[in-house]
Amino acid sequence: MIPHPLLTRRQALQRLACGFGYLALSGIAAQAAVRGPANPLAPRPGHFPARAKRVIFLFMGGGVSHLDSFDYKPVLYTHDGKMMDFLDQRSIAKTGAGSTQRVMKPLWDFKQRGQSGRWVSELFPHMAQHADDYCVIRSMHTEGVAHGPATLFLHTGSTNLIRPSMGSWVTYGLGSENENLPAFVSLSPTLANGGPRNYGSAFLPSVHQGTAIGRAGQRASEAGIRNVRSPLRTPAEQQRHFELVRALNEQQLRARPGDYELEAVASSYELAWRLQTHAPDALDISKESPATLKLYGIGEEPTDDYGRQCLTARRLAEAGVRFIQVNYSDNTNNPAWDQHANMPKHKDHAMRVDKPVAGLLADLKARGLLEDTIVWWGSEFGRTPYAERNGTGRDHNPTGFTVLMAGGGFKPGFAYGETDEFGHFAIENKVHMHDLHATILHQLGLDHEKLTFRHDGRDFRLTDVHGHVVKDLLI
Amino acid sequence: MFAPFLRSALTSAPLLAAAVAGAAEPGDLEFFEKKIRPILAERCYECHAADTKIKAGLRLDLTAGWLQGGDSGPAVIPGNVDQSPLIKAVRYTGLDFEAMPPKSALPKEEVALLEEWVKRGAPGPAAPAGGGRARQVGLSIEEGKKFWAFVPPVEPAIPAAPAGGWPRTEIDRFVAAQWAAKGLAPAPDADRAALLRRASFDLTGLPPAPDAVDAFVRDARPEAFARVVDAMLASPQFGERWGRRWLDVARFAESSGGGRTLLFKDAWRYRDYVIDAINRDVPFDRFIREQLAGDLLPAANHEEKSRQVIATGFLALGPTNYEEQAKDALRMDIVDEQLDTLGKAFLGMTITCARCHDHKFDPIPLKDYYALAGILRSTHTLHNYTDNVAKWVDVPLPLPDATEREITAHEAQVAALEKKIAALRPANKKAPPAAGKGIAPETLPGIVIDDTQARVVGSWKNSSVTAGYVGAGYLTDVNEGKGEKTVTFTPQIPHAGRYEVRIAYTAERNRATNVPVTVFHADGENLITINQRQPPTVAERFASLGQYRFEKDGAGYVLVSTEGTDGFVVVDALQFVPLDGKAGAPAATVAAEDPGARKSAAELRRLEAELKDLKARAPSRPLAMSVKEAVGEIGDTEIRVRGNARNLGPKVPRGFLQVATTGPVPSFAPDQSGRRELADWIASDANPLTARVTVNRVWAWLMGAGLVRTVDNFGVTGERPSHPELLDYLARRFTAEGWSVKRLVRAIMLSRTYQLAAYATPDAKRLDPDNRLFSHANRRRLEAEEIRDAILWTSGKLDLTVGGPNIVLGPGSAAQGYEYGYVFADLRRGVYTPAFRNRRLDVFEVFDFADANAPIGVRPVTTVAPQALYLMNHPFVLEQAALAAQRTLAAVTGSDAARLDYAYRLALGRLPTAQERAVALQFVAAVAPPDSGDQARLDAWAQVHQALFCCVDFRYLN
Repeated sequence: MIPHPLLTRRQALQRLACGFGYLALSGIAAQAAVRGPANPLAPRPGHFPARAKRVIFLFMGGGVSHLDSFDYKPVLYTHDGKMMDFLDQRSIAKTGAGSTQRVMKPLWDFKQRGQSGRWVSELFPHMAQHADDYCVIRSMHTEGVAHGPATLFLHTGSTNLIRPSMGSWVTYGLGSENENLPAFVSLSPTLANGGPRNYGSAFLPSVHQGTAIGRAGQRASEAGIRNVRSPLRTPAEQQRHFELVRALNEQQLRARPGDYELEAVASSYELAWRLQTHAPDALDISKESPATLKLYGIGEEPTDDYGRQCLTARRLAEAGVRFIQVNYSDNTNNPAWDQHANMPKHKDHAMRVDKPVAGLLADLKARGLLEDTIVWWGSEFGRTPYAERNGTGRDHNPTGFTVLMAGGGFKPGFAYGETDEFGHFAIENKVHMHDLHATILHQLGLDHEKLTFRHDGRDFRLTDVHGHVVKDLLI
Repeated sequence: MFAPFLRSALTSAPLLAAAVAGAAEPGDLEFFEKKIRPILAERCYECHAADTKIKAGLRLDLTAGWLQGGDSGPAVIPGNVDQSPLIKAVRYTGLDFEAMPPKSALPKEEVALLEEWVKRGAPGPAAPAGGGRARQVGLSIEEGKKFWAFVPPVEPAIPAAPAGGWPRTEIDRFVAAQWAAKGLAPAPDADRAALLRRASFDLTGLPPAPDAVDAFVRDARPEAFARVVDAMLASPQFGERWGRRWLDVARFAESSGGGRTLLFKDAWRYRDYVIDAINRDVPFDRFIREQLAGDLLPAANHEEKSRQVIATGFLALGPTNYEEQAKDALRMDIVDEQLDTLGKAFLGMTITCARCHDHKFDPIPLKDYYALAGILRSTHTLHNYTDNVAKWVDVPLPLPDATEREITAHEAQVAALEKKIAALRPANKKAPPAAGKGIAPETLPGIVIDDTQARVVGSWKNSSVTAGYVGAGYLTDVNEGKGEKTVTFTPQIPHAGRYEVRIAYTAERNRATNVPVTVFHADGENLITINQRQPPTVAERFASLGQYRFEKDGAGYVLVSTEGTDGFVVVDALQFVPLDGKAGAPAATVAAEDPGARKSAAELRRLEAELKDLKARAPSRPLAMSVKEAVGEIGDTEIRVRGNARNLGPKVPRGFLQVATTGPVPSFAPDQSGRRELADWIASDANPLTARVTVNRVWAWLMGAGLVRTVDNFGVTGERPSHPELLDYLARRFTAEGWSVKRLVRAIMLSRTYQLAAYATPDAKRLDPDNRLFSHANRRRLEAEEIRDAILWTSGKLDLTVGGPNIVLGPGSAAQGYEYGYVFADLRRGVYTPAFRNRRLDVFEVFDFADANAPIGVRPVTTVAPQALYLMNHPFVLEQAALAAQRTLAAVTGSDAARLDYAYRLALGRLPTAQERAVALQFVAAVAPPDSGDQARLDAWAQVHQALFCCVDFRYLN
């Protein structure tokens, strides 16, 4: 032990009390280089009372086929194999005209499920059991025919321009409810298809950027926040070194009393130390009951990895993290669900996520968390009703696809919107990705037209100049 | 003329009591009111009526509304059903523009009614008085010309020196002149050691050597500071530090970012060009011309030509989604990105706000945007605008004659060897096996997929008529059902890497000559056409489809189609031969059996090895990222209505921002893009913006804040200058002194204002809390590269090599995503650290490295916990702290107190205070008591050094 002049944490905090007060409750990204006592991550009310407090986004990178899962189209069976003219989006983007394509039937049988009688295919048997818990939006449409642009559009509302991601907008609007953890987390994000821009803050203050935990390609069991552990020193050694840093900074701050900017540096070490001490606990699922682990499919293959991610998401949600991306993706440019040539491979991916997603829904429901948590399951786009180039896979389809929304005031057991009889274009009650963004913000108590940030001399929004709240989706 | 008649005739329809447009029959108007208006009101007014919204400028609540239309032009062409955009929109074919109404298609009956209405000539009531659409616009050009930033700078009177003689230079007089009115007094001059540390980081990005600090503190000569400033301006490190600042403005990066991030392997040349230009103090107006039009400027020799071509990398290295499928949109997006960058970088203008509509604040009409866009659209930034994944322009650089000869000689050698190899190959052939006998796939190298393992669509027949096939026979389409049949091969790729893809078929005269085979690989897709009448060339069995990269277990596949084929299509097998030597033995040729063949096979192998070796030793022909004149496509361009690349409005003559143009606009030659004229307009003494924007940034980089603090925005929404006369004085002086950045930097550094202490008196805090009047120096946090470089400098490991490439190229570096697994291992200065867009060095990530996706004149400064975590736990910091400790222990053999002095002088440029000394020495004594061994001592001192990296005095310049 080293006595005086090294201070205990409490003494240090007391001496610097006026400087720490405004910061002490902020999360990992506590920004302090601001004049005056404003913490940009202090929790604050939205524009109107919120129905939900947080979002868990289960991102299915690559494009799940809505036609093989949640959008039942009998005509695909009767027309299977026929050559027909379609307004193929890739062909339109390149040539301005459509092309002739071979209709391809779903590879998995559909059944009506639950009290609501929703059609769900055998691709997702576990999620099918929750048909009464989520709202199915079958009339989604979006922008971007390729993965990069469409994934960026999904996360930032723009295919190409540099814009903040949705989680950044949400923490910018609402602040954080947690003092020891980041407000916006991305679990196992990919470096591809926009990479960090999908959880970046662009021109919003960097305090709002997402914190990556793990990365695509790394086992979820090995994922952690970066630099939160010392590769070299024991906890006791770390503590002693931390106290040396604190003492030296304390000396240097004495020369400039009341300097917010420098005090912020000192407090950033305090926060880092707390994070170093607490975050591993928040991420540690070892104390979860065997029944819970089983519910998520943890400890068995092929569900262990995504199961861990989903359970971590629940723990972070409980701890007050605002926006949690749970990525099912990889670092390639033909991400997981991208079955251009081999539709049966969809089953491999479904088997990895189906049980964990169902487990998450059941667990959130049992804990009462589904009430104020929005669970959003979906991809950057859907797939075509015809075989790509007359082969055995389906191409990208941004003009009509399905997402699932559970909890947070979305109508459970409800289906909304229609695609055309082949499931190609959304035609009835269309919901654009901007509309979905606007609706999710609305449930969080934020008006998408008022959630603005002035940059480059004008006000920017997540939804640009578009977007409508789709009230029909809401309880 | 019709109106009076109608007014009396249609009393039953009061809404019509105005007038009708055109010669509508009364029945038509009734039809409109009864059938059409209700549809429009219910389905369209929500977004297209005066009472609600007027989206896209289109009103459907009055006749003039649909006839004149909105941003896209007329909505209805009376009588022409199929050509009327409104009809196209409600038919929901969704080709050129959005289907309407956006939420759901109209019932078929309503679409039919609208069609009939258009057929009848789209009758409707005439516009009420005063109807029309209003737009919100910014300043007009005339108003704009009066806005401060567009008024050309004038030579201001230099304020008189106040009593007391505080000012040293003219700059000081401008600054001091504003204090009196506020009752401000300047802070004292900075402590000399602190001043040298500040100047050293500001000019070189590195701390001063402890000896240099001592010497400067002792040097009492009046010109002492000027001497050290001049020495630093002359050092190569000046160009590195100030080059980095310009690289921020130029949104420099070495990969594309976005969707498929691609490595810009030649971008380093642009970086070196910038550093070199700054070190040589190339006049800034020339620097601008070279970056915008260097390829078009005359050059005295090949070096100058090279430099100028490389400079245009400025236009080329933006964040581009090369995979964007709508190539016309991609083309306009690139133009937009270039305008955004050059607008902010040189003019401090957010030009791109005017892409979809007139700028809402600044005097930049839509027309000006497309006048500029015409220049850049007449320039090619991509090799072509059709590739699935587009490719930027890279051009071979001119070489000295000797090198040129060397390359030509080498190319001849390669050609000769290739000819020899080709001549040997036929002798190496193996006779095809007897009919009816297939070759076992497992005897072939690489991954072989037989047709029996492929997925087939449509009716194919098995055949074994023609010998020489792989496995059990092959498939034939029997020359029927063209276009209905495909065969897809999906390989299980065991290792990511490059593979040669080959297809096996048996050649016959009845075969198709044009079999389309598509290879989908990790970097896109390629269509190869195979002539199956020609025998395959690889071992008489396979035809090569090319070499491609595949991901492990990725989604790659090969698809054979029968579409449009002119004969029998046969499909036998597919082979993936690894080229990286990972996934099994690479195929040479099928082993020969007789001794003669064996001998020629050995000779062939020898020659092939020789060829490989020769190619590896090839003198490289350097390439640079650049742009090209769009020969054949040069000219004015159309307004894109609401920014939609396919929605063409009227053409706009090429030109500049009218509000910032003083003289006549030059005429643009029909065969030249106009980039030279654009560069001349920007880099002109007469441009009211360029010099002001430049001197303001230099001021901000040295003083911590600009005279206009929104350094990249001089528009209406930017801030006004705090010292307009000083800004004009600096701008005029800058242009008069030949746009010399070094002279400008020197003038500011030698002002007394620069040399003030970074300390606000209580009065200053109260009277001028933001220090807009510069009565004291602004304390500055070190930037990301400075923190890293200073850590390496302290440990003694910083590599000061100037210039040259710094990305280690390996397998896959030509493919996308190379940066994902990149290991940053070099110890060169941060300006050379590979600057990937999707992946940064960790220390850059946490310490606010400039976002390489947009121009950035002043980086944001944040204080966040990940910075603390980085400094406390990152292996790089721990390692460098240990190396710094070794340095300290080796240099100082005396007491721990002497060691601490040494460590402090290295890291912070000063001695420890008494309290710091007590804290640190106590720590050392606790971790490494006197009797402990070397390892404990080293660890104790490593921790002290690490704590110094963590402390606020390391991070901030006073």
